[in-house]
Amino acid sequence: MVKLRARCLLVGDAAVGKSALSHMFHSDGTLFQKNYSMTAGVELLMKCVQIPETSDSVELYIIDSAGKQTLVDACEKMWGEPSLLFLVFDLTSEPSFASCSHWMERVRAHCGDLQLPGVLVGNKSDLSARREVEASVAQHWAQSRGLDYHETSAKEMENCEAPLLGLARTFHALYQDHRDTIQNLGPG
Amino acid sequence: MIDSSLSSLGAKVVVAASSDENHPPENIIDGNTSTFWTSTGMFPQEFIIRFAESTQISAVTVDSYNVKQLKIEKNTSPNASQFESVTEQELKRTEGHLQSNTILLNGSNATHLRFIITSGYDHFVSVHRVSVQNVQT
Repeated sequence: MVKLRARCLLVGDAAVGKSALSHMFHSDGTLFQKNYSMTAGVELLMKCVQIPETSDSVELYIIDSAGKQTLVDACEKMWGEPSLLFLVFDLTSEPSFASCSHWMERVRAHCGDLQLPGVLVGNKSDLSARREVEASVAQHWAQSRGLDYHETSAKEMENCEAPLLGLARTFHALYQDHRDTIQNLGPG
Repeated sequence: MIDSSLSSLGAKVVVAASSDENHPPENIIDGNTSTFWTSTGMFPQEFIIRFAESTQISAVTVDSYNVKQLKIEKNTSPNASQFESVTEQELKRTEGHLQSNTILLNGSNATHLRFIITSGYDHFVSVHRVSVQNVQT
């Protein structure tokens, strides 16, 4: 049994639903924040995810960071060295999807020598009539950046667990690779 | 001279920031580089070795993998507190084999050595052996 720990950076444009999603995780899907309250700084949430069919778990330290451009500079100082990327856009807003590359570059600059696995999440899937970003387009973009793609609705509590489990599984797989590697190392 | 493992000399690992039950921190001081302690995510990571008695140390050798920034602190107290900084180094990256670095401590006295890994070349780092060269008396 092992408990892994990962610093998971939650970013994306303002009002795409990052905090709504993170509150959903924290309350195990019971609490949808109906009134919008903009995150001005960063909020830290801890969520422990069990890896199915093992006794292992991953503690995700989710850093919910403000999306508004003018606040990002101040928040960046709190990012530290992230282990995982949780990138969110609004399915009803093409510009929020277009921003994803900028977000990715910005986060990568904090990663030093570490690779940054993660997920791309299209939120607000309940607003299907107003959808501006096709699933196939988002899926393709995510794949080209090495991210897994998920669609969620924090409001309808739909599929919210999937990206978390995806992140935890990815980190767990990295750990297993690392263990296999060092078990086969020669002496220095 | 490295004659025997630290654990056979009565040393113990009294703190470790991570633990996988298959790769416990005791593996650091068993004198064997094929067993290891591994971190389980995020930095910094640290472990503290307590010697059976106050020891004059001329150098310490650390066999590890993917460790980047390493800080070493020591104290001469019976408790694992009030450490003073000894050195801070950036270790070279290796591939396919372990990092092996000997760090001179210039004969300073210590009852505890604290190793703080502030960054790594990967999300996870491992320490396979710490051995100590004593000042010959």
